[in-house]
Amino acid sequence: MELLDRLEMAEVEETLKRLQSQKRVQVIMVVNTEGIPIKSTMDNPTTTQYANLMHNFILKAWSTVREIDPQNDLTFLQIRSKKNEIMIAPDKNYFLIVIQDPTE
Amino acid sequence: MATRAQPRQLYPAGSAGAEALATGGAASAEGPGRSGPLQDETLGVASVPSQWRGVQGIRRETKSCQTASIATAEAAAQTWKHVDAEVQTEAPVPVGVLPASQYDGPRLAAFLRRVEAMVIRELNKNWQSHAFDGFEVNWTEQQPTVTCLHTLGYPPAQGQGLHVTSVSWNTTGSVVACAYGRLDDGDWSTLKSFVCAWNLDRRGLNPQQPSAVVEVPSAVMCLAFHPTQPSHVAGGLYSGEVLVWDMSHPEDPLLWRTGLTDDTHTDPVYQVVWLPEPRHSHRFQVLSAATDGKVLLWQGLGAGQLQLTDGFALVVQQLPRNTKLRKPPRGETEVGATAVAFSSFDPSLFVLGTEGGFPLKCSLAAEEAALTRRPSSVPLRAPAQLIFSPHGGPIYSVSCSPFHRNLFLSAGTDGHIHLYSMLQAQPLASLQLSHKYLFAVRWSPVRPLVFAAASGEGDVQLFDLQKSSQKPTVSIKQTQNESPVYCLEFNHQQTQLLAAGDAEGTVKVWQLSTEFTEQGPRETEDLEQLAAEVAT
Repeated sequence: MELLDRLEMAEVEETLKRLQSQKRVQVIMVVNTEGIPIKSTMDNPTTTQYANLMHNFILKAWSTVREIDPQNDLTFLQIRSKKNEIMIAPDKNYFLIVIQDPTE
Repeated sequence: MATRAQPRQLYPAGSAGAEALATGGAASAEGPGRSGPLQDETLGVASVPSQWRGVQGIRRETKSCQTASIATAEAAAQTWKHVDAEVQTEAPVPVGVLPASQYDGPRLAAFLRRVEAMVIRELNKNWQSHAFDGFEVNWTEQQPTVTCLHTLGYPPAQGQGLHVTSVSWNTTGSVVACAYGRLDDGDWSTLKSFVCAWNLDRRGLNPQQPSAVVEVPSAVMCLAFHPTQPSHVAGGLYSGEVLVWDMSHPEDPLLWRTGLTDDTHTDPVYQVVWLPEPRHSHRFQVLSAATDGKVLLWQGLGAGQLQLTDGFALVVQQLPRNTKLRKPPRGETEVGATAVAFSSFDPSLFVLGTEGGFPLKCSLAAEEAALTRRPSSVPLRAPAQLIFSPHGGPIYSVSCSPFHRNLFLSAGTDGHIHLYSMLQAQPLASLQLSHKYLFAVRWSPVRPLVFAAASGEGDVQLFDLQKSSQKPTVSIKQTQNESPVYCLEFNHQQTQLLAAGDAEGTVKVWQLSTEFTEQGPRETEDLEQLAAEVAT
């Protein structure tokens, strides 16, 4: 069991590193469905602030999609702002949040 | 009477009595020659009752009214029980990150495996896409030009020909105060001057009538509002004193004063700054810089006296020797300080502008004792660590960038603005803004590449280093007759406002156009680039 856990954790780290190395990515964060951050490339206080703010937003978007069409589901969320772009991949247990600076 | 005239009509014929009566009546009517006995007879009065008029009597009724008696009752109320309660916010406890062993490794790995490809695809699409090129969203109303919102003045001060030497916004951004004095007098004057404050958020603002006026016995050279108390303001006088007023008590505004002791400055105080106390960061002390070469820290005691707690003295022999000064100050050994600016990143680091035209990088934590001639109650230290390449004349204003820890600006009487980095003595850039003096320079609190300068030609010049590093983006004419603008301050709460005071005694509050108040996307990086042009 220990070995399996370690392998999984190594895979998680590798995937996050791959994502971090994508062009102009600033921040990567994984939070669970309660809004508690699990992994992050930022310091703890900022991560918690982001996690709390994003969490409500994600749930609102998800419930909006489901209400319009109960057969539909939220697959991806992007917020574009003047300075950067926030991308969220939602799931049953976790949310992956990536912040990228797409401007030239 | 009427009956005698026509007896036959009244009485029916055949009635003897009536005939006799009638004959007798007729006989007596004939006059004195009547044969019947001369007697007066009174005949009955015959009356004819009216058939249509009734007797009108006077009807009387008695009525009276009386107000009912007033009922009174007494009752008393008194609280006899009270409870004390205190409320205190607690610092929020941050939610901790789950320790690694608690999260479900396999599920997380599976989740990441699922989404990785999609996220990478979206990331790539994003930086390659041109979908949002040139797409701008405006959330606030766009202001295309700079407009003058208020023109404030105090007629008694203007009548005396006083200049506005300093302006300051209070901590809430709603009150602007200005200090009156003269910047061109060379001698000690017993001129009475004023400190005036206008509350711009109040309805019915009268530009010629400040909401609070304080009379001061000597000319005020500088002003600074307290960082947390909206009504406390500190001012430095021409006589070397430092005073603190409370503008919310117009009858007795003076809170603390240094008085004229051995510790006070002997020359005009050119700048006062509020600093947090070293141990109690919610209480503040006043720092004053004057041309006698001393930078002193004062704390207000209960008795209205400002007590000297710490101080620094600038002496020529103790200046750092890293740059050879072209014109080393001769004669007096003191170096006059004319401007102070604290770094927003390192609270113990400050920059002093001097009469000799060279900025000094100083630290509050400096240890070396200063070689002063006059004794003072608190030992003075020599604060200078680095000396920068000088201007062609005395420096009147320095300002540290709120966005970059190493950049600061200085403005002097040579009409040039120098952009320095703390890391090197030579300026990064030198801009000539005016052919006359420059009196004030301030970085914008919202745009990292924008600063404003007040010139002796009556203009307020706004520079945007992103657009052009040679000439000002906007030049606002404040005075009509080219009399100088002596001071300016940005409002940190309402960032589109800029207050500037001039030699005519007026304070103008300018509303800046949107290009000066909204940050562009890459400004911080551009500023970093500018700072990185440090010659190695």
